Amino acid sequence: MPPRSGNILIVDDEATSAIVRAVCRRLEDEGWSTQVVSKEEHGSADDMLWAAVAVIEDAAPDGVILDVRLGEYRDDQFKGLDLLKRIVAERPRLPVLMFTQYSQGVERDTVARSALQVDAPVEFIDKLASPEEVALRMRRLVGAEPETIAIGSRILMDNDARAVLVVNENGEMEPVADISGRRFDILRELTQAWYRSPGNVVPFGRLERYLEGDDTRASLRVRIREIKVSMGRALGQALGANDFIVSVRERGYRLLPPREQV
Amino acid sequence: MATLPSRRAGGHPFFAYAGITLAVAGLAAMVVSLFLPLTWLFPNPWSVEPLSYVGIAAVVVGLAVAVGGYAGAGGRCGKGNGLNGLDDWSRLTEQQFETYQHDLGRPMRRILGKCREVRGVLAATGEDVSIVVHELLDEIEEQAPSFRLMMANMQVMINLETPDAPTERYPVEPTAVVSRIVERYTGQAAEQGKDIAWWSEPAEFGLVYSDAAALEHIIANLVDNALRYGGDYIEITATRRPDEFTVCVTDNGPGIPDHYRAHLFTRGWTPEMGRSEEKTSSGLGLYISRTLAHRYGGDLSVASVVAPQPNHHTVFTLTLPIGSPGA
Repeated sequence: MPPRSGNILIVDDEATSAIVRAVCRRLEDEGWSTQVVSKEEHGSADDMLWAAVAVIEDAAPDGVILDVRLGEYRDDQFKGLDLLKRIVAERPRLPVLMFTQYSQGVERDTVARSALQVDAPVEFIDKLASPEEVALRMRRLVGAEPETIAIGSRILMDNDARAVLVVNENGEMEPVADISGRRFDILRELTQAWYRSPGNVVPFGRLERYLEGDDTRASLRVRIREIKVSMGRALGQALGANDFIVSVRERGYRLLPPREQV
Repeated sequence: MATLPSRRAGGHPFFAYAGITLAVAGLAAMVVSLFLPLTWLFPNPWSVEPLSYVGIAAVVVGLAVAVGGYAGAGGRCGKGNGLNGLDDWSRLTEQQFETYQHDLGRPMRRILGKCREVRGVLAATGEDVSIVVHELLDEIEEQAPSFRLMMANMQVMINLETPDAPTERYPVEPTAVVSRIVERYTGQAAEQGKDIAWWSEPAEFGLVYSDAAALEHIIANLVDNALRYGGDYIEITATRRPDEFTVCVTDNGPGIPDHYRAHLFTRGWTPEMGRSEEKTSSGLGLYISRTLAHRYGGDLSVASVVAPQPNHHTVFTLTLPIGSPGA
């Protein structure tokens, strides 16, 4: 899979623990590059804090995953919040995902009340969250869609090249010839909505703006069917009504990645 | 997850402290009187350790004042117009819970971390291991969301036990909250072969004035239940009206019979209780959710069409006011 351009800074006193390593691995699988500021490397919570500040200034990461607690000492319990306040003050648009053992609590109140604007790209997630959830949350926080989006392990949307690539039976990537023009626009719209928030239904109106004519709804149905036929042929499987692009009654369509074969 | 509100400071127990001080001073006076009989100051008939009388009087009055002061503070608590005793208890419970949560969370993180590490290694190497290993790893991973929700439920429960706890309202984007819930449960749903979809009306939903943590907690409970008891398709919809907004969580499961529906929001009730079977959950989720909804001026209701009727489903509807700044 072509690498994505984004990079994520992870500041965590448990950065070398299995649970944080699993998050790093998931992010890297999605094409993010990760840089870690750990206790092992920097020792004290204060040193970690200053090291993180230096990385943010020098490397300008696209997002930060930051632990609320940067050590076991009482003073370190909310040290991550000190760094968060500094980030919010100096780089208010830098997305920060606060890693915490508490999904709620005093620290969340403190931060929400003292430092954050309503639209600040800062969210909290507890450390037991699955790596998939962390990656999804980071995607939404960073906001900008990458040039290429992988849909499962076999489909790749290349927005720059305006092409859909599918891994064939020989393990080679080849473009799906029939998906271009309006069909590509519709599939890209669905893919981007899915990338930002899985399960999100794209309203008919948003998809119909790519179409012309008197009955754009019927025209949309036809285009969706054409996309599914082309994708099914490329994937070597028939795509039914509940596969890949699914109609949600009276609302719109949503993308449903093909189930992975185990 | 519901925000823990900052609590009102209770009244200072001045009289209790003053009474105890007076009683201690009295005791001191009694002791002193044993060694310093001030007969020159108090001639006959007062010559019998007069300071001890003063001491005894001080102890009696001091204790009376202390007990009165303490009872007064407790009495206010009982009447619900102050929170001293109960609030202190609640804060203490909260602190203890956070300690336990930390201590419980650590082994959970280690177990989950190792589980995910093994998954990663198996995925990378393609090593062929027994299906039992995969089932074990799946089981561990599937328990994580339940553990998170259970911890959150306990924490919110402590908060709800506090009478007159203030409610927080600030700008909230309900669609962002729904999105977070979907992100949280998408993986689990996929593992179970289930599917979650969501949409909002209007698509650009905008802000409301509410408590994002409470909203997230309620919806998480509803989605968790839908995954546990519902069918293979769950739909979350957010709808905005002039004065209120609703969040509906619908599943295409077999539906909930009337005789179960009547007890759904009862504290501690689970479907197994109706069958005299062992409980598989705490039965607190829906009780907490509805209580939270009421606390924020809204409601949580349920409607269901039961199988074998066509289009069987269950829908939970959360209704909350749009609110306004400072409301």
